[in-house]
Amino acid sequence: MKFLISLFALLAPAAALANQVELSSEVFVERNVEQADGTVTVTHTEPSQVVPGDSLVFVLTYRNSSAEPVANFTATNPMPDAVAYRDTDSPGAEFSVDGGTVFGLLADLIVTEEDGTERPARADDVTHIRWTLAEPIAGNGSGQLTFRGVVR
Amino acid sequence: MKPMTKLLASVSGATFAVLAASPALADGTTAGSSITNNVTVAYQVGGVSQTDVTASDTFVVDRKINLTVAEDGNATTSVVPNEQDAYTTFLVTNVSNDIIDIRLSASQLAGGAATHGGTDTINVSNVQIYVDTDASGDFDVAFDTLVTFLDEMAADETRRVFIVGDIGAGATNGDVAGVTLTGTAREGNNGTTGAEGAAITATTGGDTAAEDTVFADSDGVYDGIASDDDDYTVAAASLTALKSSTVVSANYPIVGATDYYAIPGATVEYCIAVTNAAGGADATNVAISDPLPANTTFVGSSIVIGGTATIDDNGTPGNPADDVLTGCDNSTGVAGGSFGAGTVSATIGTVSAGTTEIITFRATID
Repeated sequence: MKFLISLFALLAPAAALANQVELSSEVFVERNVEQADGTVTVTHTEPSQVVPGDSLVFVLTYRNSSAEPVANFTATNPMPDAVAYRDTDSPGAEFSVDGGTVFGLLADLIVTEEDGTERPARADDVTHIRWTLAEPIAGNGSGQLTFRGVVR
Repeated sequence: MKPMTKLLASVSGATFAVLAASPALADGTTAGSSITNNVTVAYQVGGVSQTDVTASDTFVVDRKINLTVAEDGNATTSVVPNEQDAYTTFLVTNVSNDIIDIRLSASQLAGGAATHGGTDTINVSNVQIYVDTDASGDFDVAFDTLVTFLDEMAADETRRVFIVGDIGAGATNGDVAGVTLTGTAREGNNGTTGAEGAAITATTGGDTAAEDTVFADSDGVYDGIASDDDDYTVAAASLTALKSSTVVSANYPIVGATDYYAIPGATVEYCIAVTNAAGGADATNVAISDPLPANTTFVGSSIVIGGTATIDDNGTPGNPADDVLTGCDNSTGVAGGSFGAGTVSATIGTVSAGTTEIITFRATID
């Protein structure tokens, strides 16, 4: 109990500080565009024209705006209802398929169907994606986390 | 210390998660709906947890116009000459993420290869389009509805549509009539049925942040139009009749003779063989009427229906013109038919394609 009290005591002054982390979330539509010479290039455009089936790239950009290192950095991104998760290039991602209660590697997660049967979780089942950075973000350091989804 | 902080962070994350959880959508995301992505970051500075940082991004899902028209099944519709209300079946599906009307039109092939391998040779007449209102899968004019468009098709909805037409009496076996059903996407009316909506115009000249309209046809031609082909194939019966006569007895054979002659008083057995060519339809209710030749007298109760015929095709199978009936065996037949007003009448019934049926009767030479 004493332990907890001391923890809250520490939390209180922290809340008074300005945010040291700047965050932005962007979405791009990813398309394979065939060029005149037959090669296919991948384009990323603003999502002004989006229809079901389109691939989306979500980019989370973070920056430590202070000189102090930022530790235990955890970014939690619920999947929008209309977007099905596909993959991520950013290492360290954990997933939830139950609305954010349990996080783990996608391969380790189990989905319980309405009839009670269990099956391995699929990308479509992902409700949340979460990254926990193992290393602190150095002062004025920044980085990006990305994942792909498709419009249902 | 560290583990406790983590626990706190994950607990607050879980609360947020429960609020955001919702079931997956069954259909494509509805046009005009917004997709908002939220992200929450928890972190520490100097070992002290800081206020969570959040960011979000929102965009609008555009209207994707797409429809499919597909033949229901993958076989020609077999018809017979003079058949009325012969129909081919199509499935029309709205694959858009919005409610649309679909205008329907039927056209006919003008020669060329039909979709099921034949060559288009005839047209059907009185072409109409019906929707399968009673969902029976079969056209029935009493229950299905004559339409020119499908009203207020919901996203992912499929309706069964018939092209209905009449086959000409002059159609012959193997004739093919190719037909095409074309569907054109038109504006819907938010689910309120009524008149056909206006033409749909795709957004051009740069996308907007609001809801745009995009043609996304599965057939690769981006115009909101889809079509499919089907065809009718005529299966007609092609009947030919052959007749032979054989003297079977005389009332005063020449003593010692073994041959019979067609002399007055002799009995003649007539055989009529009806052949239905292979590859056509079965002929049903086949009836024979044969006027008795002059100078002959019908032998009462001599009509026999059934048996086997021996036909010499003169080396040209498939060409009935030069066929000769060389023998009839009515031993497996049954008595029947009737004689009246100088005419022999008998009903054979069904002559299946590629088979021959016979009747025999006897008369004496006057």
